[in-house]
Amino acid sequence: MSQLKFKSNAIYGAGLGLRASHYQEVLSSKPNIPWFELLADNYMSDGGLPIERAHKIRQNYPITLHCVGMSLGSCDPLNINYLTRLKALSEKLEPAYISDHLAWASIDGQYTHDLLPLPYNAHTLDHMCERISKVQEFLGRTILIENPSSYLTFEESDMTEWDFISQMAKISGCELLVDINNIYVSSINHKFDPLHYVASLPAEKVKELHLAGFTKMDNYLLDTHSEKVHPPVWQLYRAAIKQFGATPTLIEWDSDVPDFATLHQEALTAERHMWALSQ
Amino acid sequence: MNLKKWQQDFYQGIFHPSQNNIQLACQGINTTGNLSASQRLDIYRDSILGGITDGLSGVFPVCENLVGSQYFSHMLTDFLKQNPSYSPDLGNYGALLPNYIAQFKPAKDLVYLPEVAKLEWLWHKAFNASDVHNNNAAIYTLEQLASITENEQGRIQFVLQPSIQLMQSDYPIHLIWEMNQDNYDGQKQVDLNEGEVNLLIFRAPDYSMHINPLNKDEFIFYQALQAGLIFLDIAKLTFTAPIETLLAPAIQSGLIIGFNIA
Ligand SMILES: [Fe+2]
Repeated sequence: MSQLKFKSNAIYGAGLGLRASHYQEVLSSKPNIPWFELLADNYMSDGGLPIERAHKIRQNYPITLHCVGMSLGSCDPLNINYLTRLKALSEKLEPAYISDHLAWASIDGQYTHDLLPLPYNAHTLDHMCERISKVQEFLGRTILIENPSSYLTFEESDMTEWDFISQMAKISGCELLVDINNIYVSSINHKFDPLHYVASLPAEKVKELHLAGFTKMDNYLLDTHSEKVHPPVWQLYRAAIKQFGATPTLIEWDSDVPDFATLHQEALTAERHMWALSQ
Repeated sequence: MNLKKWQQDFYQGIFHPSQNNIQLACQGINTTGNLSASQRLDIYRDSILGGITDGLSGVFPVCENLVGSQYFSHMLTDFLKQNPSYSPDLGNYGALLPNYIAQFKPAKDLVYLPEVAKLEWLWHKAFNASDVHNNNAAIYTLEQLASITENEQGRIQFVLQPSIQLMQSDYPIHLIWEMNQDNYDGQKQVDLNEGEVNLLIFRAPDYSMHINPLNKDEFIFYQALQAGLIFLDIAKLTFTAPIETLLAPAIQSGLIIGFNIA
């Protein structure tokens, strides 16, 4: 079995999203980061350097696999080819968690490569739960579902996002990846109380948190993952830690990626909050 | 609201934003605060098209460099509309871009641009090709060549390592490619009339990437191998040099990884 060559796959503390521009530094200086998140979709090809590097990283760190391609909210059939590749990758890398989003990404086989919103009602709840269950059965494990950031709402939504997510976790047995920045961004865009959102989630289901920086536009906040975590998001994070306890937290930074030291600083800040508030 | 129908309408409203399509996509979307439903759709359109464009810049960085990033995204506008992405892996998108660029009239003066795009696509395929150690295309290893009987020899089908890509161009696109890499400090001019080039693109076992010019003999030889020709038929092709001088280096360099008997 391959388990022996890996460190334990349990994660704690603040991890970082692995970015191509940081591989070299991570592999040569082996920084003291508790875990890395790999975007599974970047490691789905047949072979090559990225996959080799993922294995090297995994020999030194626990990892999680984060996905954007399951398209769980889509009305298309599940993409079995994608899930098969994901399963193979997960058997090789033994991630602590596998996650994807409360969103859809494709229709009629055509992919937008984005995370698109869903109306929150009983019909969508059935649809999501059925598909999450199928994926969990296929992968032979529980997955985490992340709350999206969004820019529109539907006339046909008759539940709040937090109610929807809480019920989804209860019915499908999935666990939760709570993106604190996404809650904040959506709370400004759709005018709800982000503290109430956090307080309404089932704490025992929350296994991982995300933090990131948004960009302020004229009339709304855009979830760009291109800046430092903003002060109100840190504030909401502190509330989340108080409620959920010390939950593994990831700093996401996907565009205008800074040097590794800056990224690491953000993770250390998260850990300071985490350890101070979770006693 | 039927969810499937709305997802289809939304897709159309993003990629084919006629007034009618936008209206359909906006049905059932709340207009609240400072943004109308169609402005909300615009936010998603920018995000989706921007994301796919970023993906393509990652695969075609030299093309982007040659025309500038603004022109590059302008050039892609219709490409994205006409060519849906059928895989959740954005890395599988872009195979059709070289042909599209060749038909793109405003860029027709950049005669070498479609060829550079093709080279970048093949480089991308080689970069992500399966690893030799995971490849079972060859039944026999090269060590087993020694035990092949004389009557089997002609039926040998050599197997190339999986990352190998071949292309021909009327222009010295490998030099254009090289000049557009970071840290390049060689000559600054390329003579477009230098004549055609034959290129072998591959990923070595140490994951380094290579674009090697081939002479005509070598190109015909590798093309024949890639087409799966048996050795007897390859030997019938016209080469200026003896075929052994083509085969030996291909084996020594690891470009041939094994063989089958047809
Ligand atoms: Fe996130």
